[in-house]
Amino acid sequence: MNPLISVDQLSVYSKASCLVSPLTFNLHQDRPLTILGQTGSGKSLLAQAIMGLLPDSLTIKGKVSIFAKTLTKQEYRAMWGKELVMLPQEPWHALDPLMTSQKQVRDVYHWVVGQSKHIANSSAMEALTSLGLDKSADKLPSELSGGMAQRLAIVAATAGGASLILADEPTKGLDVSRREEVIRLLQDKSQGGGLLTITHDVHVAKQLGGDIMVIKEGQLVESGTVEQVLSNPQAEYTKLLLQAQPSEWPIVDRDPSYFAKSDRIMQTEALRLVRGGKTIIEDLSFTIAKGEVVGVVGDSGCGKSSLGDALLGLLPLEAGSIERFDKKAKPHQWLKLYQDPPSAFSGSVSLARLLDDLIGLHGVDQARIRPLMARLSLSQEILERTCLEVSGGELQRFAILRALLLDPVFLFADEPTSRLDPITAKEVTMLLVELAREQCCSVLLVSHDPDMIRHTCDQVIALS
Amino acid sequence: MRSLLNHATLGQKGGALLLLVLLAFALFGNGLAPNDGAYQDLDAILAPPSETHWLGTDHFGRSMVARMADAIRLSFMLGVLCVVTSSIIGVSLGVWAAWSGKKVDAVLNVFVNILLALPGLVIVLLLAAIVPGSFFVLYLAISLVQWVEYFRVVRAITKTTVDSPAMQSSQMMGFGRWYLFKRHIWPAIAPSVFTLATFGCATAILTMASLGFVYVGMQPPLAELGLMMVELFPYYSDAPWLLAEPLLAIALLVLGFHLLGRKSS
Repeated sequence: MNPLISVDQLSVYSKASCLVSPLTFNLHQDRPLTILGQTGSGKSLLAQAIMGLLPDSLTIKGKVSIFAKTLTKQEYRAMWGKELVMLPQEPWHALDPLMTSQKQVRDVYHWVVGQSKHIANSSAMEALTSLGLDKSADKLPSELSGGMAQRLAIVAATAGGASLILADEPTKGLDVSRREEVIRLLQDKSQGGGLLTITHDVHVAKQLGGDIMVIKEGQLVESGTVEQVLSNPQAEYTKLLLQAQPSEWPIVDRDPSYFAKSDRIMQTEALRLVRGGKTIIEDLSFTIAKGEVVGVVGDSGCGKSSLGDALLGLLPLEAGSIERFDKKAKPHQWLKLYQDPPSAFSGSVSLARLLDDLIGLHGVDQARIRPLMARLSLSQEILERTCLEVSGGELQRFAILRALLLDPVFLFADEPTSRLDPITAKEVTMLLVELAREQCCSVLLVSHDPDMIRHTCDQVIALS
Repeated sequence: MRSLLNHATLGQKGGALLLLVLLAFALFGNGLAPNDGAYQDLDAILAPPSETHWLGTDHFGRSMVARMADAIRLSFMLGVLCVVTSSIIGVSLGVWAAWSGKKVDAVLNVFVNILLALPGLVIVLLLAAIVPGSFFVLYLAISLVQWVEYFRVVRAITKTTVDSPAMQSSQMMGFGRWYLFKRHIWPAIAPSVFTLATFGCATAILTMASLGFVYVGMQPPLAELGLMMVELFPYYSDAPWLLAEPLLAIALLVLGFHLLGRKSS
């Protein structure tokens, strides 16, 4: 049987520098292929090269054949939507923000398939109903949740009848419960065709089955069938990647008697929070002990971050009360770690400057900085740079450094690692939990990944 | 300073150079003339450029080099004064409005909207007509019109900065208002303020020249670019170079400021 897509020694260059080094693989009918790798490893470029969508500033070497043919620009154009389709990252970028769901799908039936407007309308409605999106037919993409938007993007992309699908990070930013739904939909739509998925999530590969290729910095690390590679990884990098999945993390040691003895730091009573006129949290009561790591899990939009903000007094309460017991702690010892590290720093000066500002303000002991930086494996050089010139992982560790220097009694970590790749995410989360324990600082760790919370936290608050 | 030079585009460097040359001429140009700008050499009326009078003489026999230097100096002075005043007022009120809650914001906004509803040039004309020939009134009127732009831009940028995680984070760590302004708000608004300032400078200079041209701005015998244009206009066929000089000067001034203000993309 001929492969649907055959890639022979394909590499992508930007001027002289090689972004993706030569890769060779085949995509067969009804045998999904998953490309696994971290962000920035050149995976998206590969998909664009196969789709014939690479920007002109980049050049490709090697051969891409689709249905055993090397296509020209015009031939590509004729195939897009009808036989070959790509789901770009982040549905928000793929959908028209000013068009309702039904219109987005209808336009595909009308312009690509060639149905009359009237028939296209009912086809679109049918497609939406089959996925349970019929109630959202008149909504704009901004009114949909991440999972719904991704389903809509898949419906719109495949409405033209294409069964050869390239999915670029189809589950990025989705809750665990939504993830499987989206993958099932992809499998369903690619029946009788082919599915090439690009992801950093091992779960996606596991669920899809078929073949897998592991890529690191544009280089092929390992390839084979999913069962073979994931159950018996050969390359060091693949092993690291597998261990970095939250379900594989070691469980942080905890001694339950420790918290029983120690003092409470905070207690909430019948908490009610309202955001945008909607009650998101109702009748929530809990106690946080000194040095305890409390995990908050729940789907996006359930009010995890709002809860943390409310505990820090950044969000007004609708009802209920929050009592702080540590009367000696100063206001600057109740701190927050942000989801997107670069947005939480001033980019106008170097990190060293920011650190000096803090030392000057609170009279922090200079001698504490070096050992703590070593613990966080931060090199002295990064202090010379601004927050835009260091990696997300380094910056989040620097944020932890800055927070810990103030001897916090309570730290609200708002999905601190959701923007980091899995290996770095594991390191950062483990360090945070470990150091907080040493300093006897309570942490409220918010995450959409129940595995991560289960492995690191002493108390879990599940929101729905 | 070095990083400033590195970040500047070629156009910005060119603009800065042009303005520096004009400024040097404005400050030291008098030295090139045999007499000051008020001295009448009645033997040389409407004389073409020569060794003694580099830019010729006007219809009263006054040296054009000296008068041009005076006029450009006056333009620079007005431009810089207006920019400094209007930017200080606009930036402080803009930051205040965005940072101090809804009440302050609402009151300032009503006030600014009223100012915006009045056509700017008419206010300037009105004030200039009440006290003709007063540099101070002209400066006051132009600044009054221009600060509104700074206010609106600075308020919009500050609003997003105030809500940013970065500023929230610094605030929680206990930093004071001055620090928050210095590290967060000022870096965010500075590029826009700089662009507004250069364009504002050019606009102020043009406004003064326009008023001079319709005789409500500065009054003779003072040397002012707009006034010189209208004074020399009758002699355009006998001595075209005379009319060309103030025209060229004002074009170069505006060009210089606009080049300087152009942001790199």
